[in-house]
Amino acid sequence: MTSITLRVGARDVAARLDSNGHVHVDGRGYRVTAVSPGIYLVADGGQRWRVAVAEAGGARWVAVDGQVAVIELGGASSRSSGRRSGHAGAMAAPMPATVVKILVAPGQEIAEGATVLVLEAMKMELPIRAPRAGVVKAVRCAQGELVQPGVSLVELE
Amino acid sequence: MIKRLLIANRGEIAVRVIRACRELGIDTVAVYSDADAHAPHVLAADRAVRLGPAPPRESYLNGPALLDAARSSGADAIHPGYGFLSERTHFARACEEAGIIFVGPPSTAIDRMGSKVGARQLMEGAGVPVVPGEAPEDQSEWALAAAAARVGFPVLVKPSAGGGGIGMKVVRERDEVAEAVAQARREAQAAFGDGTLYVERLVERPRHVEVQVFADAHGNAVHLFERECSVQRRHQKMIEESPSEALSPALRARMGEAAVAAARAAGYQNAGTVEFLLEGAGDTARFYFLEMNTRLQVEHPVTEMVVGVDLVHAQLRVASGEPLPWSQASLAQRGHAIECRVYAEDPGQGFLPQAGPLLLYREPRGPGIRVDSGVVEGGEITVHYDPMIAKLIVWGETREATRRRAVEALRECYILGVRTNIPFLLTLLEHPRFIEGAIDTGFLDREGDAVRALMPADIPPAALAAAAAHAAPRATATTTRRESAGGIDPFHSLGGWRG
Repeated sequence: MTSITLRVGARDVAARLDSNGHVHVDGRGYRVTAVSPGIYLVADGGQRWRVAVAEAGGARWVAVDGQVAVIELGGASSRSSGRRSGHAGAMAAPMPATVVKILVAPGQEIAEGATVLVLEAMKMELPIRAPRAGVVKAVRCAQGELVQPGVSLVELE
Repeated sequence: MIKRLLIANRGEIAVRVIRACRELGIDTVAVYSDADAHAPHVLAADRAVRLGPAPPRESYLNGPALLDAARSSGADAIHPGYGFLSERTHFARACEEAGIIFVGPPSTAIDRMGSKVGARQLMEGAGVPVVPGEAPEDQSEWALAAAAARVGFPVLVKPSAGGGGIGMKVVRERDEVAEAVAQARREAQAAFGDGTLYVERLVERPRHVEVQVFADAHGNAVHLFERECSVQRRHQKMIEESPSEALSPALRARMGEAAVAAARAAGYQNAGTVEFLLEGAGDTARFYFLEMNTRLQVEHPVTEMVVGVDLVHAQLRVASGEPLPWSQASLAQRGHAIECRVYAEDPGQGFLPQAGPLLLYREPRGPGIRVDSGVVEGGEITVHYDPMIAKLIVWGETREATRRRAVEALRECYILGVRTNIPFLLTLLEHPRFIEGAIDTGFLDREGDAVRALMPADIPPAALAAAAAHAAPRATATTTRRESAGGIDPFHSLGGWRG
């Protein structure tokens, strides 16, 4: 018998594997059979699902019927929530990108959700929005500049 | 016939063209950037030449490097694919001057269609409808208001110079003209240093319907019917289909004739697409020339499935000097086809493009299902290029059968490691507006957020069970071994299992 905690979004889910190869999730039993590398047939007696699973650095990517989730193992990890606030909080590029437009200047008052920058990556525009209302303290990028993820591009006072 | 073809592209379209060449006995030369050294298109070709570092400017957009690669590998022709250099007059001309066949139109035709104003004039001359408009010489508010009244409200006031929507104003009534003109002029003056304005009738809630055309060097030109591409997000097409629900047989014939007239006026050869804005539907609908794409389109498989042709074969034959393989009378649409573009972008995060490894990548298979892709499991989606992973194209006897086939195929498309737009595509395919076939080009920009909100939030717990089992490979392995040892087919054994 093995118990595992799966973290799905903000929720922790307990899973238990019994000696018969059944998996219990949220009090329901499932039989899981590997059908090809990474593909499992999951049955609960009534319904069946084909589920794809792949491992990536302590997390499992799963896909079923066109839906995808990234599940972290071991329960209350702060990684996912940290990443999320990193995206919304700092006005930074989520990936290497080129600055296409700068829509604010130092000293300017901006509202929460206002678009401050437009970046471009992979031929697509990415608007960067203000996480809160405030006054722009500094713009730390130039039009046409290639910026790296995680670097603060616009700062608020 | 072409002997050795260099494909000046990457990804799915390079793989697509290489397959066609193998079928026709043409040698293939792939080109690659450092990011693509082991990409499927490189492995598929008979030989491969490195272009340079990953950024497109230094690789796939580097015309001189491509011509050098063609010369050094002994290629007598270049296929540009779509994007990159496919619509650059100078590249087509450089090929012509180097004595290398450019698989596409003559550079003069690319040039003629490259200028919006020039193309509009050319089309008017050829009797192809364009959006009604006027550019009065008298630029006073009164003259512009009079022009707007003649064109008919609602109108769009647009600066003559520039583009990108800057200075464009929608005017619904005569009373609004003065303010719109003043504003548009200010903005145009500031942005382009030229405040000249013109007035165009506003086409409200238009559909994007394009017609595939094909012409050869012997004076033959045909159309291969329409593709409807109204499902687009910020001008990026997402789902394309043929036939269009909005066309009646008479309208289809008129649009086809207009498209052929456009191709002839441009002195066109090879495969091209004439894009129209469609206002309304059926016999009373009006259509207007938008632009001509002087290349093979991303969505060309939709036409291939419905008309039963191979457009790339035809491109290679026509580029070799052969006549068109079809007459207009021999072409007909049969059944329905839908293409879904699978992009590495996260619909849950404002369609943010995603880069990352393809940890698991399995394509659906089955009757009427075609997947054009240029990626493999274990490969990577990089930040350097377009985020399109694959195109799923399905064919069915009716639109509804095709739609359902597309839904099932997308559910069987397993991509792990990067987020994709598959959940959004599924929601869209099941949306009442799509089922009705009543989507205009502005639909996703107006109601995309509401569609996104319909995406399922939680993954079924069964997926968590599989994740947990995957986490304990020993338990799974034991189960499988015991079953195989006992000679029980796991698929059959499940039927009798009771939870």
